[in-house]
Amino acid sequence: MTRRERALQTARRGALVTVIALVGLAVVYVRAIAFTPIERTQGPAQKIFYVHAPIAWASMTAFAVTGLLSLLYLMMRDRKFDLMAAASAEVGTALGVAMLTTGPLWAKPIWGTFWTWDARLTSTLFTFLLFVGYLVLRGALSDFDVRARFSAVLGVMALVLVPFIHVTVYWFRTLHPDPVVMKPEGPSLPAVMLTTLLTSLIVCTVLYVGLVMQRYSLAVLQDVREEQEAGDGIS
Amino acid sequence: MAGDLLRTTAAVARKDLKVEWRTKTAFMSSLVFAVLVLAVLYFARDKTSVGDFDIAPGALWVTFTFAGMLGLNRAFLLERENRALDGLRLSPVTPTALFLGKVIGNLVFLGVVELVSLPLFILFYDVPIWRQLPILLAVVALATVGYVAVGTLLSAMVVRTRFSEVMLPVLLLPFLVPPIVSAVQLTWRILALRPLSEMTGWLSLLAAFDIIFFTLSLLLFEAILVE
Amino acid sequence: MAAQEPAVRVRDVSRRFGHRWIVRNVSMEVRPGEAVLLVGGNGAGKTTLLRVIAGLLRANRGTVEHRGSLGMVAHHTMMYDALTARENLEFFARLHGLPSDGRADRLIERLGLAHAAHQRIATFSRGMLQRLAIARSLMHDPDVLLFDEPLTGLDESASRIVLDVIRELKARGAALLIATHQLVELVGETARVGYMVSGRLAALEPIGGRDAGGVVSRYRELLADGG
Repeated sequence: MTRRERALQTARRGALVTVIALVGLAVVYVRAIAFTPIERTQGPAQKIFYVHAPIAWASMTAFAVTGLLSLLYLMMRDRKFDLMAAASAEVGTALGVAMLTTGPLWAKPIWGTFWTWDARLTSTLFTFLLFVGYLVLRGALSDFDVRARFSAVLGVMALVLVPFIHVTVYWFRTLHPDPVVMKPEGPSLPAVMLTTLLTSLIVCTVLYVGLVMQRYSLAVLQDVREEQEAGDGIS
Repeated sequence: MAGDLLRTTAAVARKDLKVEWRTKTAFMSSLVFAVLVLAVLYFARDKTSVGDFDIAPGALWVTFTFAGMLGLNRAFLLERENRALDGLRLSPVTPTALFLGKVIGNLVFLGVVELVSLPLFILFYDVPIWRQLPILLAVVALATVGYVAVGTLLSAMVVRTRFSEVMLPVLLLPFLVPPIVSAVQLTWRILALRPLSEMTGWLSLLAAFDIIFFTLSLLLFEAILVE
Repeated sequence: MAAQEPAVRVRDVSRRFGHRWIVRNVSMEVRPGEAVLLVGGNGAGKTTLLRVIAGLLRANRGTVEHRGSLGMVAHHTMMYDALTARENLEFFARLHGLPSDGRADRLIERLGLAHAAHQRIATFSRGMLQRLAIARSLMHDPDVLLFDEPLTGLDESASRIVLDVIRELKARGAALLIATHQLVELVGETARVGYMVSGRLAALEPIGGRDAGGVVSRYRELLADGG
């Protein structure tokens, strides 16, 4: 199979995975709205949590994957890893935007404000901005070898930075406790809520995988086309 | 081997400082900028809602952060003139020596800006600094080292893009969260005459950041250099 | 000169930028004491090939070996405008760990730049810059020298100085590879000519008594053959 054919196959499979995930998401919605009890203290608005938290998780996972793939690229210099890292960063950013919109939608009725600088939000926001920066750097470099190398370097640096941001922000926040009383989730969830949450978590991860497969194959197809446009290869 | 490293690193740093001394533009801009930011932040504060004391650490570190960024790009922009970087790569200079030489140049640059801004800071905010000066200088040095290490690596990448002056802050600012927040926390405690025991946590974070990111930047630099 | 080990050995080297192959399957050798001319149209890949041999670019395929140290004179001077001629040479001397035995001054003298030794090179003419670049490349007595259009922009007297230097280098046993459009002056100095067409080395052969016109005809011949 040629590279192009392989990429088209991945794209088709990715589309299938995405569709499965979207169906799963619909199932989660139904389950969350109709079959999961309303949370006592927060009311119906709490149900956004079943989508928000797993999307946030998927987004952060996407960024971690970008970091790891960046490391792999630097070690093995295989362009596959570069294209996959970029695909993961883009999907992670898209999911991140979804996270940053569902979050405030949930926060407003519960906390009375769209945003607060508590530890988790701040840390997540910085991580999000870090990977937006990764995409901005990629956009600014036209030579694809330079682009791959430089973004891989940034990706590895970002991967190592995330735990530091976490610690910094959490320490900072524990010294300045929020006046806000409500917490996003209780210390332990009843089984039925936990099931909904875990199902959603799996669905969002599958969604991430499907989207990355599609984005990656698009990148490969683009590369194949550019290669053909560049004319003959070497003997 | 170590002798070569020392010699080449020193040569690169010396050359950078000599060139900067001749032109002085980046240095002057940075210095004037620092003074302006300090002054503006001071006059713009609302005396009734927050005390000088609470705002001072933040003002100091915002000043250092942004004045520093003005100076970081010049190190590698210099090597783009006349393709001087090619000349360096053709010579026995290793990526490590080049990185260290550039870091030293940047440290001197930023160090001078900081040393000039610090007395002004003390003057404006009227903070009781004299007994704490050694530890404050130590904190400034520690935070600056981490800042410059990462900044040097990122600027080497960013100078090859079109809007390098904007790209650098975009990429660098998230990396400054750990060292600058730590520095602000420590500065506050120093000014408030807190015991050392209250500072150990942030000091460890700062030290850990420095060690890990200095090493990482050093190791990754070669990947940026070799085409 | 017969069975001497080559100073430069290029084996099946290819190099691309993005998806375009700029140098394709080039193999060649340069022996000590010989000067090889590299001719080809714009975009034929001469500069890229030289940069790969110099180590400034990695070969995507194939290998490059050279014995001893290497120097290069290219279109860009690879030096610092804010420093004087002497300071630039001294910087490179320090990088190479050369003893301060006055060689910088000797080379400046040799290349006819003594009158401008203490001027910042920002004020230099193209011809002076080229000569200084040559002086710089000779500082560490390289065994291999790569020239990319060494005579471009030089007047009569400057050209003569450079040709003298090239002759001396050959006599001293250095291996020279000279990419050029300016054949008239250089055909007399070379024993072999490499013809590059579309990134390939169409032929590498003894000059065969050809003059500049003869070389051009041979090039056109190879061009018509499609490389």
